[in-house]
Amino acid sequence: MPATVYELKPWVAHYGALTARELPPPRHPNLPALLSEAATRYADQIAFTTCMPNGMHGSLTYAQVAAHSDAFAVYLRQALGLAAGTRVALQTPNCLAYPVVAFGILKAGCVLVNTNPLYTPTEMEHQFRDSGAEAVVIVDMFADKLADILARTNIKKVIVVEVPQFFSPVPRAVIRGVMRWWNKVLPPLSIDHVRLPQALAEGAALRQQLKIDPAGYWRDLGHDDLAALQYTGGTTGVAKGAMLSHGNLLNNMEQAIAMGRSHIDDGKEVVLTALPLYHIFAFTLNLLCFYSVGARNVMVPSPRPIQNLQRAFDNYPITWISGVNTLFNALMNEEWFTAFPPRQLKAAVAGGAALQHAVAERWQRITGTRIAEGYGLTESSPVVSFNPMSGTPRPDSIGLPVPGTEVSLVDDHDQPVPLGAPGELIVRGPQVMAGYWQRPDETANTIKDGWLHTGDVAVMDADGYFRIVDRKKDMIVVSGFKVYPNEVEDVIAMMDEVLDVGVIGVTDAKTGEAVRAFVVPQTDGLTEEQVRAFCHQHLTDYKVPKAVEFRRELPKTPVGKVLRKNLKAEYQSRQPA
Amino acid sequence: MLTDTETKLLGIMMMLIMLGMGASLTFKDFRIAFKKPQGILIGLLCQYAIMPFLGYTLAVVLGLPPALAIGLILMGCMPGGTTSNIFTYFSKGVLALSIMMTVCSTLVAVAMVPLLLDFYSGLKGLPSEYTVPAGNVAQVLVVLIVPTLIGMVLRKWNPNVGATVELVGGALGIFVILFLILTWVPRNHVLLATTPAAVYAAAIGIGLVGMLLGYLLSKLLRQDPRRSRTIALETGIQNGPLAVLIVVLTFKDEMQQQVLLIPVLYSLFIVLTSSAVTVWFRRITTREDLARDQSKVQTGPVSAAVSG
Repeated sequence: MPATVYELKPWVAHYGALTARELPPPRHPNLPALLSEAATRYADQIAFTTCMPNGMHGSLTYAQVAAHSDAFAVYLRQALGLAAGTRVALQTPNCLAYPVVAFGILKAGCVLVNTNPLYTPTEMEHQFRDSGAEAVVIVDMFADKLADILARTNIKKVIVVEVPQFFSPVPRAVIRGVMRWWNKVLPPLSIDHVRLPQALAEGAALRQQLKIDPAGYWRDLGHDDLAALQYTGGTTGVAKGAMLSHGNLLNNMEQAIAMGRSHIDDGKEVVLTALPLYHIFAFTLNLLCFYSVGARNVMVPSPRPIQNLQRAFDNYPITWISGVNTLFNALMNEEWFTAFPPRQLKAAVAGGAALQHAVAERWQRITGTRIAEGYGLTESSPVVSFNPMSGTPRPDSIGLPVPGTEVSLVDDHDQPVPLGAPGELIVRGPQVMAGYWQRPDETANTIKDGWLHTGDVAVMDADGYFRIVDRKKDMIVVSGFKVYPNEVEDVIAMMDEVLDVGVIGVTDAKTGEAVRAFVVPQTDGLTEEQVRAFCHQHLTDYKVPKAVEFRRELPKTPVGKVLRKNLKAEYQSRQPA
Repeated sequence: MLTDTETKLLGIMMMLIMLGMGASLTFKDFRIAFKKPQGILIGLLCQYAIMPFLGYTLAVVLGLPPALAIGLILMGCMPGGTTSNIFTYFSKGVLALSIMMTVCSTLVAVAMVPLLLDFYSGLKGLPSEYTVPAGNVAQVLVVLIVPTLIGMVLRKWNPNVGATVELVGGALGIFVILFLILTWVPRNHVLLATTPAAVYAAAIGIGLVGMLLGYLLSKLLRQDPRRSRTIALETGIQNGPLAVLIVVLTFKDEMQQQVLLIPVLYSLFIVLTSSAVTVWFRRITTREDLARDQSKVQTGPVSAAVSG
């Protein structure tokens, strides 16, 4: 069989500064080995800073992070008696406790279960039961949600952390005072729990008493051992845990760093982490990659409203920032940002959702740096492709597959489509997960022959740059014609009167499926006729929405993707049975 | 009126509050204010063109007797008060702009106030010899600028200390405002009961109408909504204590008491009206912040893309 256009990897020729055609295998057998090496090399440098909206802050050095996470590992193994491979859930917004606990779980040889702190008790119960987590580390703001569900899970111990953890006493007292009495976000805790400082003290004491070397917990871990269960499927159905191994994450770190290498000075970078670390994008890029290169990580607990980031930009010489389209957009609507864009900024990376053309262009004009857009999935740890840091930017492109990754575009029968034709994007590489936790059927549906089927439809150009067209399962078939909701959404979003839009397909007696648009108007008085008339100017007839529905807001994921499945479910629930 | 001790205490509190306000600012904030100097100029225009004219017009329209008219015109000719900065802070306005406007209007007060008083008093055929105490004007500047600068330096030196000072200053600000509001009715009920309606209208109206006119002029001169609200507060809020001092230095006995009436009433009511306006402005700003957070990217040219 002749090599397909994808097997020829045309993208390698466009790596620019990046010369390696394939990546060498990671130097470390497991994540704790890499973390420990970084901690030794950068011991006295600041590793993490939490910056509150009012500028109050606390920091930990690399040595402190290492010592605390060692103590936490000992606590998990000795005090709680957890076995290697036990799942431990971590449910907190960005704060200093996050790296300490996450690294501690990995060093204990346990499996990290990242959990969204905004989850409802029902979602938490599903995730805890599905993962079989035996301990949970949760932020005090949301710990009350555990009360009703704890009995139905395997969780034996609740460890409570706080946002100003590791702050000096006065700022900590002020922040907690404001949270308790002004914002009223600290609920009383009825459940049995231990606070993180106490757990760390216990762990440190046990370590000394029993003369434990925490390295003993992880020394024998290899690339195939499980590191994290990263839950996904928020946009498709019930959440399932992607099994990410130490090898998956180590490889993906190497791949991501390779793409940014030209803009990274070891030990000198300051990265702003505004996206939540429990999400795979910030977890791999901000937490793991930048820790390994000795960067200072400035974490903001919540980037909304966007003014929360002002102090971080004021007080720290930010050199890297990762974000999603909405975050970059919001920053550029702020005068304090546009009047004095961060001078030391070298690069920005975007993922999570499509980066709008206008946003990328304006960012370049304001900051003088480029937003490199990438593409990835939870199932691939996450990075699959990235735009290179040099060369001409390609608008709307998700860039080139990262080194060591095979990408192909296939049709419904898994046959490669010709160059330039849309096909489902499939990925094979060392970053692709082993499968979904305890779901062999789902795994078999998703990974075939080692190829991860992303469900995203893309096209490739002759240079090997990819562009996402849409989600395969969101494709709408109108009288046999394919309509991609993204295309319709992009057109409607061009209207000045439109703030936000989501497009889905609904069953239709005449055409099989019909296009339906949900529009959040920017101004009052926008009518269905106006929207349809505008669409008629830019789209073929069958792509024009048959119906337009106006709403105040759209359901979205934590990173700002419109949840089309929720729109569909809502629409269906309104139809007579 | 407040006693001497209370006045001194209030002065110290004002410095502490301004320390807190300063701690909320960066030097960048002032550079932005200077980059768009129109705001400061419009503020000066409001302060020394609109307000004195408004004072004069109200005096004529309401048919105030000479002594009261003097008080009202004097009130209109005053520079911006320091409290405007506190209200701007709480209304989430542009604090650096507010402080710059207060500083500028106070700086030029030594020259402008006698000039304007002379002009408007002459128009009404009133005595036009006033003593404007330059020393006290300088004191206003010191109380405003020094703590603000110290606060800014504190914040730059250590953000934790800065944020704490800001919080304490803000809390103190709320305390002082509440104290003034809650104590002024019991203290002044006799005065309030005997004051005629026209005087009320003058004392309250000059502040409120001043804010409205300041806002309209700013909008007309294309200031953004947040700056317009800041200028509105700055325009309406005059330096009451300075007016009182000028009256005390200029007039004697019975005349002094009569001229004092409007500055005193103004000082009482402006706290109340500004508080209400501040709560309202704060809601609007919060709503705008949220809307901006979610709004679409602007496709127009970038005007402020200058790295500094």
